[in-house]
Amino acid sequence: MKQSILLALLTIVSVRMMAQNNDVPYSQLGLGDLDDGYYNRTSGLANTGIAYRSNRFLINNNPASFSGLTDQYFTMEIALRGQYLNYAGTQVNVGSTESADLTFRKLVLGIKLTRHWGSSIGLLPYSTQNYEFNAPYYINGTTVQVANNYYQGHGSVNRAYWANSYEFFHHLSIGVDASYIFGQLNQNNIIQSSSTGATLVSTTNNVNLQNLYFTYGMQLYGAIGKNWNYSIGGTYSAKAALLAASTKLVLNNDSVALQNIQNQEGYMYLPEAWGAGISLGYKQKYTLVADYRYQNWNGVAGVNTYPGQGYAIVSSERGSVGFEISNKKAFANYRVELSYIQAGAYYENSYLQINGQQIKDYGLTAGFGVNSIKSPLSYNLIFQYGIRGTTQNDLIRENYADLTFVINFGQIWYTKGKKFD
Amino acid sequence: MTIIYHYLRKELLIISSFLVALSFLTGCEKQPNLGQFGLTNVSDNGSANIVVVDSSTVLLSTVYVDSVASAATGYMQVGTYNDAYMGQITSESYLQVRPPVNLPALDPVRDFYDSIGMAILFRKANPYYGDTTLPQTYEVHQVVDTLYQLPVYALGWYSNQYLPIGPSLGSATVTIAPNLPYTSQNAGDTVKIRMDDALGQQLYDMAYNKSDTLTDITSFLNWFKGLCITPGAGEPGGTMYGFFDSCLMRVYYRENINGAAVTKTIDFTLYTRPSQWNYITNNRTGSPIANLVTPTNVTQPPPVTPSPATGHASYVDNVLGLSTKLTFPYLNAISQRPDYIGLLRAQLTIIPLAGSFSTTWTLPPQVGIYATDLHNQPGAPIYAPGSGTPQTGNLIPNYLAPLQSTYTYDVTNFVANQITNTAQGSNQVGLLLSIPNPANLSQWRRLAIADQSFPTEQRIILSVYYISLYPHQ
Repeated sequence: MKQSILLALLTIVSVRMMAQNNDVPYSQLGLGDLDDGYYNRTSGLANTGIAYRSNRFLINNNPASFSGLTDQYFTMEIALRGQYLNYAGTQVNVGSTESADLTFRKLVLGIKLTRHWGSSIGLLPYSTQNYEFNAPYYINGTTVQVANNYYQGHGSVNRAYWANSYEFFHHLSIGVDASYIFGQLNQNNIIQSSSTGATLVSTTNNVNLQNLYFTYGMQLYGAIGKNWNYSIGGTYSAKAALLAASTKLVLNNDSVALQNIQNQEGYMYLPEAWGAGISLGYKQKYTLVADYRYQNWNGVAGVNTYPGQGYAIVSSERGSVGFEISNKKAFANYRVELSYIQAGAYYENSYLQINGQQIKDYGLTAGFGVNSIKSPLSYNLIFQYGIRGTTQNDLIRENYADLTFVINFGQIWYTKGKKFD
Repeated sequence: MTIIYHYLRKELLIISSFLVALSFLTGCEKQPNLGQFGLTNVSDNGSANIVVVDSSTVLLSTVYVDSVASAATGYMQVGTYNDAYMGQITSESYLQVRPPVNLPALDPVRDFYDSIGMAILFRKANPYYGDTTLPQTYEVHQVVDTLYQLPVYALGWYSNQYLPIGPSLGSATVTIAPNLPYTSQNAGDTVKIRMDDALGQQLYDMAYNKSDTLTDITSFLNWFKGLCITPGAGEPGGTMYGFFDSCLMRVYYRENINGAAVTKTIDFTLYTRPSQWNYITNNRTGSPIANLVTPTNVTQPPPVTPSPATGHASYVDNVLGLSTKLTFPYLNAISQRPDYIGLLRAQLTIIPLAGSFSTTWTLPPQVGIYATDLHNQPGAPIYAPGSGTPQTGNLIPNYLAPLQSTYTYDVTNFVANQITNTAQGSNQVGLLLSIPNPANLSQWRRLAIADQSFPTEQRIILSVYYISLYPHQ
């Protein structure tokens, strides 16, 4: 009976999750709204984790981190995020400025295959697109007749990855993340009668994107004296071609296809990117982390073409810091983490430059996690408050508050009956 | 292991409850209204657009048929008027009457002939045209030819057919207020025309004698071939009135009853409706349609006169045989534009010629639109997409702002076929504007349409809305 109730509740959650997504106006540009979150143990640290290592959690921030898992440990994480958005700007109707959604963000699995080899696979969002707005305009050829242009876009680009890392000399870990980027961005432009609202003509542009994208990572770590430990990390991704196949379908007012164009496949390029981070721990209780990430979009500006006009894709950078306090308890010869609290801050110059204004994104995070002692589960709740964009130059500012819930399942495998060493 | 499972289930229940609460909290929010944000950023994303072309050439011409079937319309059109665009129009009405089935028993001592006259009726909704403030003279004539009895005319009379008539048997001059209605004879809606007493006495005597000529309808029609009501000779022109065809030729007699004279009548009523028709003449001299091309052969298609020959306008006046043909010689050019991918809609807007109409010279409230070709005959009605109702223009007259009085038609279906029609003779395929039946045979209101030599706001416009997609990706 209880299982049935649980199943029903999860079904309700799933259905509601699929029902609505937040309107993100900036997502209509470029490849959509690039997701810089990892939805993991580092989320409460403002996603600062290039140098972070964990024996229990999957740190996707750096593929070199997976070697840090406990030997023979299998772990799985899923994440859900509820987001509340408040919009401000001259374009925003003051009577309707809010939006909220709940979305599934990731599913990842990892395992420590050998004493030095950690591996992980998973599915993460790369970018999302979701927007809609109406714009009346004069029909071409007349200065008196008005029609309504309804613009709507949705879609997502996802990243399925397989990452492996290997530890050398107990202080160096090197990893490779092989990601398969795939997804579809859909843009609809529906011209409607201004009097009846009836559809006059609609154009649907679909862009399918796919290809491999490699990220290389390194972590160097060790102890400094009896109480301190450190970790230095770095990541690098080479420029990669993204195969883009687009179609355009034009329907008239009777929904008869006037044009169905299969455009020749082309390439868009994901930029060269690199990141560097540092982590400093004290008595295995306090941890301070800092990251810097850079994406060289300027380097692919000449070869990429994006829909729309009046904006530019520019190189982006992000800096973040985080601080964590871990609450551990000794059991026999082991210190087991019971809970932790985290705080972080970040500042980002995004890859969008609109009306001469590079869109900035900054905010604070706070995280709290509990590791169940009597079950293989761990729960992580992260609150994030941020501001993206500006109201200057007719732009929109988004004030967002995220509540992310990450569930981690972990278990020792291949122990032949033994749970722990 | 059992203990672990037990705690796991409890935890999942807590988690699920949390998620459900979170999902409801977020799901209650509505999507924001972000105005037109991003318009400048996405408006050139290669989507289809709507383009309207209202400069496409429309050629106007007036189609002329030399006669219309003017019999059995229900109206005796009598009068003459001078129209600045149509010239002078005159109509006479021919009809046959029949004696009563039961003749009265007349007594030579008590009954005495009094008079004879015609009574014609004008009701409020009857058609009229022209200046109603002017008096109009009506005359009654007797038809003196026997053509009435020829079988060919049983098929119907046309507006260009007439018969020889005798001298006037009587006349009356009246002024009619058509919207009351009221006549200056103080007889309500009736116009009375006193007729020749010699004819009246003759008919009275025949009735007294129970003449076979009166009791046998064939004999009567052979003798009394018919009547023709005409406007007065030399009438300067005023108004055309459409009287009901249910008129009376009435013989009045007096009967002395107990020393008092009581007026009684013998009524000769309309014989049959098909035997009544209107003979219409149109003196176009000096009018804009003076150069109208007229047929030279009865078997030829109705000839067309291009608008430059008729004052840069075309005309619709079906009673006079006039309708307007529209052709679109360069419609193909729209479909050959590089960005054209499909037709969305096409609308024809007809603006009556500025100054051609007024509260006196009113516009036809309904003008139908039909397909036509090189034969210049009306074909099937042009329907709006999704409609089975013939279009009539949806005119809302505005006499204070004449240019806002327009007839509009959805010609999407026609343009959709014609815009890609490159077959031989396709430039003769067009539209015909014509007043729909039955008003086409009884209504005198006419429409003058300015051609495209007039300023844009005064002329006919074909607006073609097409879906545009530039070939770039």
